[in-house]
Amino acid sequence: MAALRQLWSTIADRHGLGVAVFIGVAVLFWVLVLIVLPQLAMFDVSLRHNLPRPEIGGPADVYTLKNYSYFLFGNGALNTLDIGVLVKTLIAAVIVTLLDIVICYPIAFILAHSATGVAARMMVIGLIVPFWINDILRAFAFRILFGATGVINGIGQALGLWSSPIDFIRADVALYAGLAYTYTLLMVFSIYNAVETLDRNQIEAARDMGASWWRVHWRVVLPVAKPGIASGATMVFMLTAGALAAPQILGGPSNLWFTQIIYQWFNDAGDWQRGSAYATILLVVCLAFVFLMMRVFKVSIGAIGR
Amino acid sequence: MTRGLGGGLFAFSYALLFFLFLFGPLIIMVITAFNSSAFPRVVPWECFTTDWFGVLVRNERLMSGLWTSLAIGVAVVAIAVPFGLAGALALADIGPRLRAGLYAVLITPILIPGVVLGISTIVFWSFVGRGVGASYDTVFYNGFFLTLLGQVAFIASYAMLVLNARLQRFDPTLTEAALDLGATPGQAFRRILLPFMKPALGSAAFITFLASFENYNTTVFTILSGNTFTTALASKVRLGTDPSLSALAVIIIAVTLIGAMVSEAHTRRQELLRSGKAGQSRFYANPLSRLLTHPGAVLVLLLGVTGFIAWSASRVDANVCRAAILQEKQQLQERLMQEQRNRIQQQAPAQPATPSPSNNPSPFGGAFNPNSLAPPVQPAPPAAPPPSNNPSPFGGAFNPNSLAPKQ
Repeated sequence: MAALRQLWSTIADRHGLGVAVFIGVAVLFWVLVLIVLPQLAMFDVSLRHNLPRPEIGGPADVYTLKNYSYFLFGNGALNTLDIGVLVKTLIAAVIVTLLDIVICYPIAFILAHSATGVAARMMVIGLIVPFWINDILRAFAFRILFGATGVINGIGQALGLWSSPIDFIRADVALYAGLAYTYTLLMVFSIYNAVETLDRNQIEAARDMGASWWRVHWRVVLPVAKPGIASGATMVFMLTAGALAAPQILGGPSNLWFTQIIYQWFNDAGDWQRGSAYATILLVVCLAFVFLMMRVFKVSIGAIGR
Repeated sequence: MTRGLGGGLFAFSYALLFFLFLFGPLIIMVITAFNSSAFPRVVPWECFTTDWFGVLVRNERLMSGLWTSLAIGVAVVAIAVPFGLAGALALADIGPRLRAGLYAVLITPILIPGVVLGISTIVFWSFVGRGVGASYDTVFYNGFFLTLLGQVAFIASYAMLVLNARLQRFDPTLTEAALDLGATPGQAFRRILLPFMKPALGSAAFITFLASFENYNTTVFTILSGNTFTTALASKVRLGTDPSLSALAVIIIAVTLIGAMVSEAHTRRQELLRSGKAGQSRFYANPLSRLLTHPGAVLVLLLGVTGFIAWSASRVDANVCRAAILQEKQQLQERLMQEQRNRIQQQAPAQPATPSPSNNPSPFGGAFNPNSLAPPVQPAPPAAPPPSNNPSPFGGAFNPNSLAPKQ
């Protein structure tokens, strides 16, 4: 409390009372009304029965764990379907994240330490342009690319690599490629910001002392890049696990993303309570996973977004 | 160049491959926008046409969604940027102990899945609406209002990140000097800090607008029964695709590229002017090239070229070519039917069974069947126009079994 009062007087002294009021009101409204209270409301609703509107607030409106137990046990035995989809979503998100790290690390390094002047600026523009194009259109592009009569199948068949069209969409290849594509920019800039701080003399010194190139990367560059990789990986993982458009457009017909189940409970089944419970599960599981990984790799949340 | 560490040939070829990966899908999509085939594809190439742009503009749902999206985008910028600024200022002045905590709180909305934000927003406001006894036509059940709040919750974090980066380079002694010279704190804020933040405020506004415009995950919940541009686009893609979406991509890419080039021209000009070498530069020696490298002139030039290309492309009449293709297809179909008839006649005595289409495995494996991608029921389509054209010439019609089993 004392710290808050101190903050208030610092801001008021430096920027004036009006600005201090503005900062206080805006941050409070943002944090409380837009972030915290909605999450609490969602959690509250997830603990209730799906009642018709007149009965809400009536005697039947009591707390229940029904929606969570449905996720675990379904209507009888273990709910392998929904749990399986959640696990599959998490695994897929990890795969996409790793894919992005592998793809983006060299580019970030090249951008920070090899490219200069015009080349570097062109690379930055080249990275940003695909990011400006709508999410939906990006997914659409991958559908054109990977469709049965798409370009990849066309080239493969023309070269005689395979004879009948491969169903990349059913095999989720299109989905993984599309998701990895969507978040490359985030990963590149996160790693770039970290790698850029590396003094090039350190690399030179390591080389002079006879380290091989992979050893230089492993022992000199990677430790510097680690916070950037962690920050990028966190964002890519959370965005991939929470993606809805790409799985809807690129997902195979029998293949669901966990967000799609939430969407179905919410919009198709009209069961806000169960949808909220599933959304809470997604949020808690994803955040827990991210914090676990941060603990394992010893990075702090302050590194994100830097 | 760092020896053997991403310098030289390896770096070059890797960068080439990487940008091929980035731009390949976009280039393919651009090409499909000009193919007259009803399904977006490059091969077989049918006719060059610009008709898909017309189809795009005539899509009323998309166009009305566009206006909604623009309005929401402007409103989000107007709220999210000040919120982001407030967050960044609070972070700058807070003590080191609380700083990490506040940073974590303000950064979390980026990490929360958009789906969760959307759901929590509508649940919370319907809760509030019920609390004050509001009816369904009030602001608490208004898609525009809810989308605005849901988007601001996390987009303000983007603004905060951009502004925070700039604010960290601010020299607080400037403000103190102004205060010492007798300015009121408010004056110092308006005259010193805000002008310093101006470029970052501009880019924050730009980023927040883009983020709002292309957001889907949160908006698809909070817009309720309405439509923004992106949600209309998504339901169109899920119901069935046609190259008018590629045409949209062409427009967006063109706008983006023109914007990027103009901004590049602007940056270079600024650098040149700031470095003081403008007088020596050969571009500035010549008045014509001096005028031509001005960002405004670059913009006019690019717009002119684009306009000319669009105009000349729109004059290409694809009807003749399309009629030829149609005729070709009909001939092929007739020939196939003739062959089939012959075969049936040959087989008829031995095997009376006619080949039934359902035994015919679709070459598309149902992957293009519009139903196989969409969830069973669409979210309250408000007078949804039926998809005017079949997504694929085969449309899954060959494959009645391909209505994928939904769990």
